Amino acid sequence: MWDWNYAFEVLPDIASALWVTISATLVGFVLALVVGLIWTLLIRSNNKIISNVADGIVKFIRNTPLLVQLYFIFYVFPQFGLSLEPFTAGVIGLGLHYSTYLSEVYRSGIESVGPGQWEVATALNFDTRKTWTRIILPQAIPPVLPVIGNYFITMFKETPLLSAITLVEILQTAQNIGASTFRYTEPLTIVGVLFLLLSYPASVALRQLEIRVTERY
Amino acid sequence: MSEPIVRYNNVTKYFDDLQVLDGIDFEIQPGEKVALIGPSGSGKTTFARLLMTLEEITDGTIEVEGDYLWHEQDDNGDLKPASTDHLRKVRSNIGMVFQHFHLFPHMTVLENVMEAPVTVQGRDKKEAKKSAEDMLDKVGLLDKADTYPAQLSGGQKQRVAIARALVMDPKVLIFDEPTSALDPELVGEVLDVIKDIADQGDTSILLITHEMDFAKEVADRIAFFDGGKIIEDGPPSEILYNPQAPRLKEFLERFMNTQSSPE
Amino acid sequence: MSFWELIVSLLGQGLVITLLTTVLAAILALVLGFIGGLMRLSKNKFIRFIVAIYVEVFRGTSLLVQLFWIYFVLPMFGLRMSALTAAVLAIGLNYGAYTSEVVRSGIQSVDEGQTEASIALNFTRVQRMRRIIIPQAFIMMLPNLGNQLIELFKSTSLVALITLTDLTYQANVLNATTLQTTQIFTALLVIYFVIAWPMTKGMKMLERKMTEGRM
Repeated sequence: MWDWNYAFEVLPDIASALWVTISATLVGFVLALVVGLIWTLLIRSNNKIISNVADGIVKFIRNTPLLVQLYFIFYVFPQFGLSLEPFTAGVIGLGLHYSTYLSEVYRSGIESVGPGQWEVATALNFDTRKTWTRIILPQAIPPVLPVIGNYFITMFKETPLLSAITLVEILQTAQNIGASTFRYTEPLTIVGVLFLLLSYPASVALRQLEIRVTERY
Repeated sequence: MSEPIVRYNNVTKYFDDLQVLDGIDFEIQPGEKVALIGPSGSGKTTFARLLMTLEEITDGTIEVEGDYLWHEQDDNGDLKPASTDHLRKVRSNIGMVFQHFHLFPHMTVLENVMEAPVTVQGRDKKEAKKSAEDMLDKVGLLDKADTYPAQLSGGQKQRVAIARALVMDPKVLIFDEPTSALDPELVGEVLDVIKDIADQGDTSILLITHEMDFAKEVADRIAFFDGGKIIEDGPPSEILYNPQAPRLKEFLERFMNTQSSPE
Repeated sequence: MSFWELIVSLLGQGLVITLLTTVLAAILALVLGFIGGLMRLSKNKFIRFIVAIYVEVFRGTSLLVQLFWIYFVLPMFGLRMSALTAAVLAIGLNYGAYTSEVVRSGIQSVDEGQTEASIALNFTRVQRMRRIIIPQAFIMMLPNLGNQLIELFKSTSLVALITLTDLTYQANVLNATTLQTTQIFTALLVIYFVIAWPMTKGMKMLERKMTEGRM
């Protein structure tokens, strides 16, 4: 049923694919953080057209599956001459998909900053950029940090989807091993355990952060 | 008389269909201290917020030191809405202290006072720190420089807010009911600080208040607002002890009654 | 095929499976979520521990890994099942873990006074939960439950990877046979959106209706 020797034999191969999974998560997350903020600012724009278009795009991305978006980026973009490596396509898909969630998080953070802070920024003659960078965002971001952290963990757990566009991350590595030896039990279980080992401590740490944040705000 | 530092010309303000200011003309002289009184909803707060550019003007013009605040002149001398740059340039003459302080909760007291000189005026950090500390000393809170606003009492918060506005060296400083969010026992310390500023500075002051005694003490002139208009305007002695307009009499009477009624 | 024909063809072949998977998995998740959530509040430490393990394992590993594990590994232990069963089981178990947390925090958010009042009125524990606490907690859970339903619906696209013939699977088949890649995947995105968007709106409306005059 379960062969320890076999498990230890395949473990190094699977673990070495972990860096693909982790780097996809990190790059995708940075992309999501930046693009998410851009959505938020565009949606807040005074220009009705810009605001509505951005809002529409965000709603569309949020209401369609990540897997299908990955297929779209990987298979449709080349039709227009834009062929992407699986890693690049995967990271763009992940980043874009989660940017729409982060945009919502930023929005709620920004709305939690009272109107008085905007007024005092005007009274002290801050320009728009400085108002955001010095006054609004430093207050809007800390309370939502735990939620942002949660999305980081969620993204990490979504990276196996990138195997569907042929990225050889840990799940695909396990699948490949399974296909060549006809033993799926050990490789797939190892993948599950690795995810648990990484994401559980992270979510425990986040819960601590959340307690700290609720105490402060 | 010298050129006024602020001049309202036929200023009108609507919120949607509701008219809150009705063609007001008004002047403030350099160094003059003006108190605005009147029932709530009379337009006095909107009047001041237009000067701080927190509300948009509907009609008329406001001049600060001879420059239009809400407008710019084009090549033909016609008025057009002010650009952001122009608005910021003229606005730099005005400062404001809010009813609810609006300190930056993510910065220490010292950082609160230093922030705008460094970020907005581009002043040298060391030098800004020095003047921020001087200003905190002036309001008696230098020992609180490194604490966060959440740890201060309401009176202390408001004194920091005053230091923060003052360090920008505005020519006109607006106080919007600076003590009405405070517990009664904390009002005195804030009024003392405002009194000091009024006594030593060349700063013009626009004070919206319900503290009649304080208005009398500080102001060179009191303007009474009612229904979006300035009904009466003159030295404190005239306004408070020899009111002409029936509405002003009524307002003062009701005010005296509430003041003397037992809590 | 024209764009319209593609949509009709996709819908005709994959829609039923996608919706069936969604409905069955959602029911399983809701049942597991309520049972798990209530057990998490049990006075018995052991029961709480068991549920905690379930929740952390299913939240801590990836849905796709769970799907593969159930479909490829369980048969090694003699548990052979159809792709549909595996899909419903994986998605239901995964979302059930999240739902149990929603249920738990919903129940905990009901004011302590409600419990005290029901004790004062001599309700039994079960009566108290059924008649007083859960009806109030449910309203507070609704926004989260609604969000999860949308996420669950979107996640059904993963079942294509264990050869269940849902919308996404059919799109891949169609892509291989017709090579109209752009139109097919555009159509697929549009179909998912056209289903998910009214669902989002519908949940918001339900939320408003349920909270009207009560909160």
